[in-house]
Amino acid sequence: MPLTWVHVLQLVILGAAAGCAGSLTGIGGGLIITPVLTLAYGVPIHQAIATSLCCVIATSSGAAARYIEQHLADIRLGMTLELATTLGAIGGSLVAGLLSREALAVLFAAIAFYAGSTMVRRAFTQETAETSTSGSYQVKHLPLGLIGSGGAGMISGMLGVGGGVIKVPLMYLVMGVPFKAATATSNFMIGVTAAASAFIYYARGDVRPEVTAPTAIGVFVGASLGAHLLRRTPSRWLIMAFSGIVFYFAVILAWKALYGGFSR
Amino acid sequence: MTQAGTSNKTQSAIAAVLRYGSIFSAVVMGFGVLLSFLPGPEVSTTAHLPPGQLLTKALQFDPMGIAELGIFFLLLTPVLRVAIAVVGFAIERDHKYVMISLGVLSVLLASIAYSLR
Repeated sequence: MPLTWVHVLQLVILGAAAGCAGSLTGIGGGLIITPVLTLAYGVPIHQAIATSLCCVIATSSGAAARYIEQHLADIRLGMTLELATTLGAIGGSLVAGLLSREALAVLFAAIAFYAGSTMVRRAFTQETAETSTSGSYQVKHLPLGLIGSGGAGMISGMLGVGGGVIKVPLMYLVMGVPFKAATATSNFMIGVTAAASAFIYYARGDVRPEVTAPTAIGVFVGASLGAHLLRRTPSRWLIMAFSGIVFYFAVILAWKALYGGFSR
Repeated sequence: MTQAGTSNKTQSAIAAVLRYGSIFSAVVMGFGVLLSFLPGPEVSTTAHLPPGQLLTKALQFDPMGIAELGIFFLLLTPVLRVAIAVVGFAIERDHKYVMISLGVLSVLLASIAYSLR
């Protein structure tokens, strides 16, 4: 990609929009960044995923810092599950290196669809958000949690997403962690998980500074802005609109991979 | 495993690393990007230099060298967070979690070692 100020500005805006929407709705910005870079800028999907991973670190660091200060993130549980997520992430990034652009695009579309529909469903069943958070809880089914975390890490490393859509239900439904604590702890793990796989992409030369730096700066600004705007649960309309965009890109990406292919 | 437990000092150290580490790397990345707009020789956009060479390039004020260094700092922020947790658990004499966080740290260091080949 040529480095002109127009491109840089566009990437900063893309990052800011994805970061802001991500922190307002809880849907990861990576679900927007990867398809836009691939479809609109012709960035090879492996490089787009590498950029997305760096953006995921930029978003989650700020969010995780807030969750820790509010004593919502369970640092010990997070650290334990990170043993599995980091190993899974390295595995996922190595697998991604073996997959074709088309195969990776179809897998990405599938996870984007799953994440989008989970958010829509959650927006219309609000019971989870109100569950009380105070008090201690006993973590159940740790071995199962570790296996699931390894899978979430693998998807994160392979597709450049945070993986909260898998970890939160895993902790909440399987391990008996309250919903808010599960969300906070999942966020706490995202940065470390993404870093483990980002170094593998870096080694392959997939982290392109001219793409990654402007986008990550935008995400950082957008996510901070979103966090300041958000003082209550996001409206259903916002979640519906953002999920709609995620669905749209997922369909186009899968269509292009299956019927057009990506130019080399 | 309950949500309370880890000392406030460790928690605020971890939060500070996450917050200021990401701000610092964003500033370095931004500096590199802005520098690339200054009149001068054509900006090279080759990715992935060995870190030694990357540092040299950044010290010579190569715009993309600096931007890439900023990205590298961004990737190191979570690693630093784990390292601080190791120290925090050690101060609390929580040996089990010293071992667990050392395990996470060694996975991350293995990944870094792979990227430095």
